[in-house]
Amino acid sequence: MTLPGREAYKDELTALAALDPRIVCLEADLGGPSHPFAERFPERFLNLGIAEAAAVDIAVGLASAGLRPFLSTFAAFGTWRAAESVKLGLGYQQAPVVLVCPYGGVSGGWFGPTHHSLEDLAVVQSLPGVRIAVPCGEAETRAVIQAAADEDRPCYVRLARNEPYEAPFEPAGRGEVGWVSGTGGPTLLVSVGEKPAQLCVAATERRPDLSHAHLCWVDFESLSQAAAELADHARRIVVVEEHRAAGSVASTLALLLPRHEVHSVNAGPSWPSEGGSHDETLAALGLTVPAVLAAAGAGETPAGASVLGASRPARPHAPLTRPAGAPAGRPTPSMANPGATLSPTT
Amino acid sequence: MNDIDLARERALRARGSVVDMAASPAGCHLGGSLSVLDILVAAHTVAESRPGVEVVLSKGHAAAALYAVLHQTGDIEEDPAPRYGRAGGPYTGHPSPKVPGVRFPTGSLGHGLAYAAGWALSRRLLGEPGGAIAVVGDGELQEGLVWETLQIVQAKRIGGLTVVVDVNGGQNDGYVADISPMTDLPARLAAFGFEVAEVDGHDIEKLAAVLVPEDRPKAVLAATVKGKGVPATEGKAASHYVKISPARARQWKAVLR
Repeated sequence: MTLPGREAYKDELTALAALDPRIVCLEADLGGPSHPFAERFPERFLNLGIAEAAAVDIAVGLASAGLRPFLSTFAAFGTWRAAESVKLGLGYQQAPVVLVCPYGGVSGGWFGPTHHSLEDLAVVQSLPGVRIAVPCGEAETRAVIQAAADEDRPCYVRLARNEPYEAPFEPAGRGEVGWVSGTGGPTLLVSVGEKPAQLCVAATERRPDLSHAHLCWVDFESLSQAAAELADHARRIVVVEEHRAAGSVASTLALLLPRHEVHSVNAGPSWPSEGGSHDETLAALGLTVPAVLAAAGAGETPAGASVLGASRPARPHAPLTRPAGAPAGRPTPSMANPGATLSPTT
Repeated sequence: MNDIDLARERALRARGSVVDMAASPAGCHLGGSLSVLDILVAAHTVAESRPGVEVVLSKGHAAAALYAVLHQTGDIEEDPAPRYGRAGGPYTGHPSPKVPGVRFPTGSLGHGLAYAAGWALSRRLLGEPGGAIAVVGDGELQEGLVWETLQIVQAKRIGGLTVVVDVNGGQNDGYVADISPMTDLPARLAAFGFEVAEVDGHDIEKLAAVLVPEDRPKAVLAATVKGKGVPATEGKAASHYVKISPARARQWKAVLR
């Protein structure tokens, strides 16, 4: 049975701790009443309670003494509530603390915006030297936790909630591109995170001419390496991610690839404050297969697009970069402003 | 010369160095540096003879005092005053980890206490001796992070931690008592499971005796005088940040006490 990312994290860290006595597991009251690490290594497990900023700082103190703390809390709290502690400890001090945060994106669904995290990557991405991973599925989550434990570096790991995901691709390591389908054609879908990967898989089923690559490590250093490989395979890149535009992977890739078109399918500007599942909340944000296809410049009119445009605060998927330096007369794709396909009404 | 006499000499020399830093182009947080200086000297005297004891200056704006004291302990070989605040040197207005003897950078208030708690906890997890002495300001206690940390220290029974409060009564905009008074502080700290002591924050001998980290966490309320040692600044809230001329520095150093 495939484990959801959160459970894969707990299981993998417990296994690693058997081999590495430096590993310490810290929770902030959101790890659940039973935890395999606590059962196996109670002396190295501390639930520090609802005090995220102090928890990050205490983890920094432990790391400074040579221990390898893993601290877990929801993404909204680990990044924003404790933002300054993360800046000063993981950023400025480069303390090798691993911050593992479930409830990334809107995986909290009906929990609402207080528990959503559509801005966490922007926070961490702004801190030079902090590694960032958004693993998909059990195998990649385990690989990320192993890599984080092996290296003496600060790290942020964004997970989703409790749904298991059977990733149809091999884990992608740091700086690597995980190819999901196709490696040709002018347009490449790049997914970041489990739901975006599912959207892109569904999109390529309808449009087999599209390629789909998945990225797991999305800090600037990792993206710098991956960008070169992406650039070799497509002129037009559509990044699909469960995050706002600011601080998105799309925005970083746009900086890294000024001669490419980088388009963004992101969570947009709204605050989804209705009930619903993870999928329903994503749909409310416009993160849907039709939106992906529209941004990809599908030949067909994506089903549902008009509904999206009529009833939702649709986002224009305008390119984040102009193809600066592109030769004059370069073929301008008809979807240069694919947001028009969505008929934004607001 | 015994340790305490040596510490007193170090304190006097360090005071002169702080006055020199106030005469730098950047000036320095003079009042709080002079109030906390004897505490830092005592804390480092404790740490020098006990392996694994880390001193963390959580009120990082008193960096001038820390640099001056670390020069006296030999951690910083050069006199930091001529390079204080200047380009090309590590002596920033708040402690930088590039400075020898500084493990945790501080300045944004509250964090140093939590780093110290983490360090103290590491002793237990690693089975190694030592602990931490966190030096905080009385104004700093207004930060929520301080109380989050004290809560965790109590809940997780983190021993080996001494929190010493430099009670100089001042903060950036004036007096603590006028801005956000910290009432019943001994009782508050005791309620968090700390053994509380109140001492003269300029009595290095008593400080050195009471700061030693022990199994039960300790809070030491050290009554100090802002600007201590320079008659022109003693007890004046306006001494919080001072920039003086080299000539004024020579005058002040001539009457240090």
